[in-house]
Amino acid sequence: MSKPHYDREHHAKIASGIGDPQCFRGKAGEAKFKEGERVRIRDLPDIFYTRTMLYTRGAVGTVTKLVYESPAAEDEAFGNEDHPEWFYSVVFMQKDLWPEYSDTYANDTLETEFPERYLERA
Amino acid sequence: MSDHHDHDHDHGHKPAPMVDEVSHFEILEMAVRELAIEKGLFTAEDHRTWVEYVHTLGPTPAARLVAKAWLDPEYKKLCEADGVEASKAVGVNWVTSPPTQFGTPSDYCNLRVLVDTPTVKHVVVCSLCSCYPRPILGQSPEWYRTPNYRRRLVRWPRQVLTEFGLQLPSEVTIRVADSNQKTRYIVMPVRPEGTEGWTEDQLTEIVTRDCLIGVAVPKPGITTNVKLPVRKAIHPVHHDH
Repeated sequence: MSKPHYDREHHAKIASGIGDPQCFRGKAGEAKFKEGERVRIRDLPDIFYTRTMLYTRGAVGTVTKLVYESPAAEDEAFGNEDHPEWFYSVVFMQKDLWPEYSDTYANDTLETEFPERYLERA
Repeated sequence: MSDHHDHDHDHGHKPAPMVDEVSHFEILEMAVRELAIEKGLFTAEDHRTWVEYVHTLGPTPAARLVAKAWLDPEYKKLCEADGVEASKAVGVNWVTSPPTQFGTPSDYCNLRVLVDTPTVKHVVVCSLCSCYPRPILGQSPEWYRTPNYRRRLVRWPRQVLTEFGLQLPSEVTIRVADSNQKTRYIVMPVRPEGTEGWTEDQLTEIVTRDCLIGVAVPKPGITTNVKLPVRKAIHPVHHDH
């Protein structure tokens, strides 16, 4: 990407009257994962910015929903919107996130979202 | 802040300060805002319009959304399928209600309504910061933004809910929604017993903000949020500037 002069109204121009993430709809191509698929969260480097919580890294969960298309926060934070990707809502068993989670409540779950780059088939 | 003001209250001629205490984040906000205005990113007028908009927001539209869904199964389906579309029925357009006309800079336009059942209870947190569905719920309560709530709810949801006075039996599973990307959540609790034949207005009254975050469940007769007691610090911090 080459943006010698950063257009500070760029986001307003693409999102006005449409909304964000709606303005990225149809721009991510084909989704790699489906609803119901088991995925493992990758532990990618995140020196600058990330919105993928440490407690989810390495954990295995189930895709509940393909939620929207958007640039990953890791790119968007620096104005890079060139590669929108699919976002997935993934549900984990609490036991898989926190080994000491009480057995009495073994069916408790946690749901959160990830850009496609963070997922691999499990 | 660099002013050398003292905290000596004996000087009766000095007017009382308009603001007792300003946090670092408030100073940071003012500095960034003034820089942004100087650089022409937005005008002081834009900022005022925005603040006015923010001050009009509250949890009533979300409470009404829940009440409507309790009464209308078709509308409930719409809430589950498309929260942004369902919000329009309660006067909130996620895209065009804010002065920007593209949602808000941090709330985006993607509402998901988490529907509780008798065996599943949802509760919302943003462990990374304090993402909150402001267009439909207003400003988040102070406790929602604290690291204490954020870091503990994802790991010890039962214990944290107990502190809010909500004890759930083991046959009810808890699903925590950690709002970390562009989706914002509200919880649609189960309609409580004792509300048979109630009107939409009556039902709206018992769906408090706490119910919509998921840390409480609606009960007939309870129309306000839990007020947690404020305890004074045992060793308060003194600034000696």
